[in-house]
Amino acid sequence: MHLTPLGGDLVLLEPGEGLDPGDPDAYLTPLIAFLQRVGARRLIYDLASVPVLDPLYYGWLVQVSSACAVTGVEMVVANVHAPAAYGLAQYLEGDPPFACARDVDRAREGVVYRNNPAKGSTR
Amino acid sequence: MQKKNTDPVARDANQILIEQLKENMAHISAIIEEQGRALFSDRNILSEDDIHEYSFEFLELFILWLQSDQTFGGRQGAESHALQDFFAGFARQIQVRGGELDVFVRYVQALQRVLIEELQESEAYSFEQSREVLLLLARLFNQLVLDVFRAYLHEKEQTIRLQQEELRQTSTPITEIWDGVLTLPIIGSLDSSRTMMVMEKLLTRIEEERARVVVMDVTGVLAIDSQVSHYLIQMVRAVGLMGAEAILTGIRPEIARALTSLNIDLGTVTTRGTLSDGLKEAFRRLGIEVRQQVH
Repeated sequence: MHLTPLGGDLVLLEPGEGLDPGDPDAYLTPLIAFLQRVGARRLIYDLASVPVLDPLYYGWLVQVSSACAVTGVEMVVANVHAPAAYGLAQYLEGDPPFACARDVDRAREGVVYRNNPAKGSTR
Repeated sequence: MQKKNTDPVARDANQILIEQLKENMAHISAIIEEQGRALFSDRNILSEDDIHEYSFEFLELFILWLQSDQTFGGRQGAESHALQDFFAGFARQIQVRGGELDVFVRYVQALQRVLIEELQESEAYSFEQSREVLLLLARLFNQLVLDVFRAYLHEKEQTIRLQQEELRQTSTPITEIWDGVLTLPIIGSLDSSRTMMVMEKLLTRIEEERARVVVMDVTGVLAIDSQVSHYLIQMVRAVGLMGAEAILTGIRPEIARALTSLNIDLGTVTTRGTLSDGLKEAFRRLGIEVRQQVH
């Protein structure tokens, strides 16, 4: 898992191949500690290297998002591949708790989609 | 391996027909041609030469089949296949030339009639033998007609399937109407296989075009049930996961009423009355203003 401060209050998370979504405890505490240390307000989770989002990985994303939310950080996932979105939409029963952006640039610019319009859109 | 006929009565029936055909070949052939002309020539389905050739070929294959001494159930022999192929090809030829399948069936009935009439004219055979010949002919021709019908239906079904597939492909044209804005008019009914196809196409286009807004117009959807609404919500969700926003337009009053009756909550989905309103909303979200120029 690579964490890169992008300037301002943005942090980019690139999961890399070694990440085990079945073991969130190993990553969550160091992740939140890092975000708090750099004063992040938005975490951009780059899914470019994740071809499929199975329930296990989705569960991991939800946990990261929840942990971010309780510490005042918004999580935005970026670069969801078409087959991954297709597969995930099949079994999702509700809207995901995180925002989505087409790519990292858009996530940086704040051009993100939040599934609940009541929360407002940055567009 | 051909099944050999070991039934003496049935073998007699084969022999009787062979004798009949050999004795009256020219006569039978002429009558068959005449029947063919009556059915095909008037409608310009087959030429005189074609009819002659088909009649000749039929008799030739029929005699070979009788000589092969196969029982009805043993029609898997080469002679049976040849006869089957002949009729399948013949039926196809008739259809290719604009004839209907019932003309073919009438021709097969005529062939059977000609052979039975020839038998009736002969007084050399007992009632038992005549009955066996009639049974043999009935079984053979019924099976041949059934085979042709089966092939015909199979072909029709395949054509319908291909047309349905083509219709599906063309009935969901996804258009990039503006930079980053895709429109998807949905016409007809949504079932699970169509939803999957539309979703796959739509998500791929969002990825390719880096679309930010998708306007899904359901003006052409005449009916909606809980399953269809579930598919629509699924599509909206998948679009959102791609970082784009879906706007649902063209929900007809009766559909709105159906959704209410079904207790389906589209509260998290952005909806607009018409496609035009949906486009305006898409432009608004992209910060684009379309104005009429004042001179």
